[in-house]
Amino acid sequence: MSALSRDQIRTMMAEVLAAQGKEMPAEDTANLEELGFRSLDFSELALRVEDETGEELNFDAPGLRQIQTVADVLDFLEQLQAA
Amino acid sequence: MSDLPPIGPASVVVVSGGSRGLGLAIVTDVLDRGAKVAAFARTITPELQQLADAHPDRVLVASVDVNDHKALTAFIKDAEAALGPIDALVNNAAVGQDAMHIHMSPQQIGDIIATNLTSPLVLTRAVLRRIMARGGRGRVVMVTSVCAQRGYSGLVAYSATKGGLDSAMRTLAREMHGRVLVNSVAPGFFASEMSSVLGDQQLETIARRTPSGRMVEPDNIVPVVRTLLFEDTNLNGQVITIDGGSSI
Repeated sequence: MSALSRDQIRTMMAEVLAAQGKEMPAEDTANLEELGFRSLDFSELALRVEDETGEELNFDAPGLRQIQTVADVLDFLEQLQAA
Repeated sequence: MSDLPPIGPASVVVVSGGSRGLGLAIVTDVLDRGAKVAAFARTITPELQQLADAHPDRVLVASVDVNDHKALTAFIKDAEAALGPIDALVNNAAVGQDAMHIHMSPQQIGDIIATNLTSPLVLTRAVLRRIMARGGRGRVVMVTSVCAQRGYSGLVAYSATKGGLDSAMRTLAREMHGRVLVNSVAPGFFASEMSSVLGDQQLETIARRTPSGRMVEPDNIVPVVRTLLFEDTNLNGQVITIDGGSSI
C-alpha cells in the first residue's frame, strides 16, 4: 500500500486527539505540549499509520524528542514513510 | 567440613569491549594491579593500542566482534598462547538502546539480545572451559545494569539482556561450585557512549533522583570490579549495584 499523504496523517492525528476530547489545531505551528499530545500519542498515531500502510515504522527515541509541533509530527511521519 | 582455599587473585583477565569507556578503564586498572589482559573490541582505539604497545608482554588486543563466536574462540586460544592460562573474565561489551519496544523491529531486538546476552554467555562458556580443562579456578564479572532491577522507558530489550545476565550469573555461581566466583556489577547510568543516547532531560532527572547527588562515573565502577577480580571477599553470585543509591 502507498504512503499516506500529509493530509491523511493530519486527519489521523485529529482522530487521536478527538478520542481524548481534544481538538486538532488549525495551525501546524501549534505546540504539542500545550496541545497535550504526548509521546505515547505519537506512538498511537504511528501505529495507526502502520495499520493503514501495512509497513512498520521503526524509530528510536532521539528522533521522537525533536518533535515539538504539529508540523514536526507530520514531517517525521512523512520522513519515516519515505525511509 | 570442606575447606577449600580461597580462589587467588586473577592473573590473566579477558575483557570484552575493552577499547573505550568503562572497558578501557578496567583494562588499565588490571594492568596497574600487575595482571595480564587480553582485551578485544570491534575497533581497537589508539588508547588501547597504546597500552598494548607499552606492555607487549602483558597485553594482547584484537579487533573481534563479540557476535563472531568463531573469532571469539580463536581469540581465547591466542590469549592463552601469548599470556598463559586465563583465569578471569570481565563481560563488559554491550550495545545500548533508546527506543520504545513497540517501535523496534524484531531484527533490532534480536541484535541487542545477541550482543548483550547470547555472546557474553558464549564467551563465558569459552573461558570457563579453559579454566576447567586444566583444573584451574577463576573469577567472572558480568557488567550488567540497574536496568535489570528497575524499569526505564526505552530500554526494554536492553534491560531484558542485563536481567538475563544477572540470572545466568547466579546460576553459574552455583554451577561452578567453588571453582569460579561469579558476580555482577550493575552500574546506574553514567556518561558513556551508551548513556549518551539518553536525552538531556532524562539525564537531569536521573541525576536529580540520585541520593548521593551525583551520577555514577566509570571511576566508581572500577574499584568494585578490581575487588571482584583480585580480593578475597568470598562474594559469589551477587549483583553489586553502583548507582549512588538511585534504585533504593
